[in-house]
Amino acid sequence: MGCTIAFTVNLSGLIEKEHLPAGREDLAEPLVAHSQRERILVAMADSCSTKGYNATTIADICEPAGVSRATFYDLFKDKEDCFHAAMEVSLADAMGRILSVYSPDKPWATMVRDAAAEFLDLLASRPAFARMALVEAPASGDRAFELYASGKRVLQSLLDRGRDDPMEEEAIPSSAGRAALSGAESLIVGQILAGNAERLRELLPDVVYITTVPYLGQEEALRQSREAEKLLSSAGG
Amino acid sequence: MERAGVGDRWRPPRGRHRLPPEVVARSQRERLLEAAVRVVAERGYGAMTIGDLTKEAGVSRTTFYELYEDKEACFLAAYDNAVETLVRRVIKAYESKADWPDRAAAGLAALLETLAAEPALARLSLVDVGRAGPAAQRRYRAAIQRLTPLFEDGRDFAPGGRGLPANTSRMAIGGVTGLISDELVAGRAEQLPGLLSDVLFATLVPYIGPDAAAREVERLTR
Repeated sequence: MGCTIAFTVNLSGLIEKEHLPAGREDLAEPLVAHSQRERILVAMADSCSTKGYNATTIADICEPAGVSRATFYDLFKDKEDCFHAAMEVSLADAMGRILSVYSPDKPWATMVRDAAAEFLDLLASRPAFARMALVEAPASGDRAFELYASGKRVLQSLLDRGRDDPMEEEAIPSSAGRAALSGAESLIVGQILAGNAERLRELLPDVVYITTVPYLGQEEALRQSREAEKLLSSAGG
Repeated sequence: MERAGVGDRWRPPRGRHRLPPEVVARSQRERLLEAAVRVVAERGYGAMTIGDLTKEAGVSRTTFYELYEDKEACFLAAYDNAVETLVRRVIKAYESKADWPDRAAAGLAALLETLAAEPALARLSLVDVGRAGPAAQRRYRAAIQRLTPLFEDGRDFAPGGRGLPANTSRMAIGGVTGLISDELVAGRAEQLPGLLSDVLFATLVPYIGPDAAAREVERLTR
């Protein structure tokens, strides 16, 4: 609980800094490019997903964004600064979506499922940002990595709350939630790298299983996973 | 893997000699691959230059470009080499045991010990490969997939194995590599063998559930 509160504060800080409204629905990719700054961030994400961050040049960003180099340097210190800003916006976006499913009276497993569904939907709707946040940022080794890592810690704290039985405390390693999250992440990244980002939602039953099995046991985790599958087919696949 | 410094290694004699050109090229190639592992470990892939590689390997720039198109090609070759060693050791250890949990424990222990003994190799295999661009990323995933059958065996071992989600083994592997990467990023390569119970639990839990996984971890890491 304390973690959620601390996180909400961080998130509002981020959102304020980026002058973004807290409801994230308005940030669908095609709509985002209404200012030079945002066009640059979109171009950054696009170039990252085609060429990779290392190979991206300022020209790769300026040209599709339709801005001059001078404008770029008015807004950002350098390429890394721009990458960091793009990550900040993406993170605020993702965290806003995930926080929107949080409710104190929802069972933990339902919350995990809803959060995973929101996250997968968001990634599927913005493939370039998905790739930037989950493929390039973890590899960047600089400030953007810190943003990636902090996002991951938030998700981890959501999973760790599945551990409510003190009897289980000893037998289940404290890294269980982190391992489950990495497992889900690796599946998601594989799908993104294979160019199937738009089909990420189909991974929901798998993600629900791996993230709940350490705490709920196999039988219940499988039940939750089948529920998630039903949810998918009822939503029209 | 041999860890001799550049100066100690055998090199073809300078000047005119009768060694077949392919032998010379192979030794230059090996020196470049070893240099790539060391330089990446020291400086990271992003900061590595071709000059670093040629200097460390004791070969000329011309030779470098005869063997590799660019820095990425050299890195990828070094990566393939490193992964080959790693995968072979893991599979050998895995096959030395009979039951799946015992096999998994032996394979994971070999993985952790190899990475701990050779932090340069560890960085190259699990951390820096992500920083070397999309081609390296795909390479990494292909390498990891070679370990899939070892995890997939868990399905046959587990009573309800066939009913598990399709991507269970991919996620189990992702959990293991995720925990290892976290240690490497934190600079704790030497302590990796201590991670055995955590990675073993992450491997077993999707197949046999938390209670059985905890019991097996207890039995196998005692």
